Amino acid sequence: MKQKRVVTREFILGLIVLAFLGFMALTTNFSSRNGLFSMMLDVSPTIVGAIAMSLVIFTGNIDISAGTILGFVSFTAGELAVYGVPMILFVPAGILVGMLLAGLNGWITVTFKVPSIVVTLAMNMVHLGFYATFLRNSGWIENLGDNFTWFGRGMFFGVVPYIFIVSIVVAALFIFIMKYFRFGKALYAVGGNRQAAIYAGINPDSTVIKVYLVEGLLLGIAGLLKAVTRSDVLPSSFQGREMTFIAAAVVGGVNIMGGSGRLIGAVFGALLVYLLSTVMIYMGFQDYYQFALQGVIILIAVFITVTDFSAFRKKLDKTGPAQGES
Amino acid sequence: MDMRQMISSRSGPRIGVTYQVALFMLLVFLVVLFGILQPVFFSPDVLFNVTAIIGEIGIMALGMTFIITTGGIDLSVGYNLQLCAIVFGSVYAKTHSVAEAAALAVLCGTACGFLNGVIISRTKIPPLVTTLATLNLFRGISMIVAGSETYSGFPEGFKSISSTFLFDIVPIQFLYLLALFIVFNLYYTRGTLGRNLKGIGFNEKVLVFSGINTRRSLLFIYTLCGFMCSLAALIYLGRLSAATTSMGNDLNLQVITAVVLGGTSIMGGIGSVSGTFIGTLIIGVLRKGFTLLNFSGNIFNFTLGLILIVALIVFALLEERKKNAGRSGLT
Repeated sequence: MKQKRVVTREFILGLIVLAFLGFMALTTNFSSRNGLFSMMLDVSPTIVGAIAMSLVIFTGNIDISAGTILGFVSFTAGELAVYGVPMILFVPAGILVGMLLAGLNGWITVTFKVPSIVVTLAMNMVHLGFYATFLRNSGWIENLGDNFTWFGRGMFFGVVPYIFIVSIVVAALFIFIMKYFRFGKALYAVGGNRQAAIYAGINPDSTVIKVYLVEGLLLGIAGLLKAVTRSDVLPSSFQGREMTFIAAAVVGGVNIMGGSGRLIGAVFGALLVYLLSTVMIYMGFQDYYQFALQGVIILIAVFITVTDFSAFRKKLDKTGPAQGES
Repeated sequence: MDMRQMISSRSGPRIGVTYQVALFMLLVFLVVLFGILQPVFFSPDVLFNVTAIIGEIGIMALGMTFIITTGGIDLSVGYNLQLCAIVFGSVYAKTHSVAEAAALAVLCGTACGFLNGVIISRTKIPPLVTTLATLNLFRGISMIVAGSETYSGFPEGFKSISSTFLFDIVPIQFLYLLALFIVFNLYYTRGTLGRNLKGIGFNEKVLVFSGINTRRSLLFIYTLCGFMCSLAALIYLGRLSAATTSMGNDLNLQVITAVVLGGTSIMGGIGSVSGTFIGTLIIGVLRKGFTLLNFSGNIFNFTLGLILIVALIVFALLEERKKNAGRSGLT
């Protein structure tokens, strides 16, 4: 009989995040209204982006062009907003752009059976070149009016930003989908054992294309959440965001080889990565230490998830009575 | 049949040659095209300048060919080069000794490659993720070391390593590249290592069971690639004579494109060093042609990204056709 484990990896991660928050609240002025508020503003797009990236990683793929897709999304929304298009229209337009670009990645990956990392790496370059070559001012839009930024600046009860609520709702929705929908299980199946997934009646190709489309949708939301907090948009500034998403996902216990991991972990991962970089800023390190930090975090987190510690565990168990997992 | 036959028939000479002939024709076509659009392209000065600007890409692409043949990839080469250049610049700024600076730069590049190699060969972390993470690590370190500083003012003696010309026309970098190419090609086609690499890309388990230390081969090629990055950094510095944290940013893609364009399968198992050489030349021609036509570097990167995607697709389709044409080559 398998009893439900209460102390999961994600539970521990949640405790770490809480401990971190507590530690920062006690030792710095982080707990002031400003610190918490800017955390909620900054972490919201990362949460949604980390969920998007996790979904793709579940299937054993990856998207290196996620950051530059965000740039396209925010440019589309910003450009439309400049012409006075209301939010009800520029939001779907931005999301559609995200879905198209991510869907293209998925389509090429599946149709021509080429590794997604190389395709999306090339796409990353294509996107960056596109901004600089074909967009006016490299896509830089400034002086965006209230019709663009009201949502990003709005908050409930004067403390909780709207965009944080959106990201939490999105996270909850997708955790629910992963748990109760066929689509969620199919992602794990394709990433875990492709052949077995086929025998189970899952079409891996269409699943991968679907997951990229869903990723695009989420990236659309993430890009908009980030864009509407500012009155200017610079597409190339989103370059490198994909590393934060990947870091958040793998810190949250998502297996980079695909097939396992939980979205709640990715959410905690996003918080933890944010808190770590904030701590560094509070400690007076400069911005560019974060590149190095993220690299190291990803390596450590991936090492822990992919390494088989069972031999090590057995050694530990020998000291006491065997605690089987039955 | 033994492993050797299997591998050699998989990358059968017939298909290899036709692909390379096609590639060479593409190169000639590009030269003629740019020559028609901009007649100055045909002058010997410009044509030889193409061979000068591909020095660093070509050198890194040789190391990358070995890696991609095993089914791995090294995304960190551009930032490894950047870090080596920064190390050279900062050490030179302190000691004013070219020898010390160059030695430390080479050491740094090799160490970075070794780090990649250790992680990839000893843990289960896939090469893509490892090098994606170390890419950020190297980038971060070089930014920490350099800040926003630009190191320049290197002595003429150092600059001459890549501004000397044989017979007043052939750039010396091209000679380095040719020499390295010959060594790598021999290693790849005649040596045991080359065969092992193809075997790893084809089926690593089989090699492990036949008693080949694949871990050591992997460690060696990633370290070698790091070493090549440091050499490339020195040559690049000799040409640019300034080390900044923006150099090398877009070299990753150029190097990978050169290798993939050259016919080395991204899935591993199939590859060719001479193909990489032609691929590198194509990239050089494109870059020079775009410069002469006054296109910006962004258009070049944009085009390069498209070329990489198209090359991947074409190669995948060729593979598919070969598979469908029957497995006569394998039996």
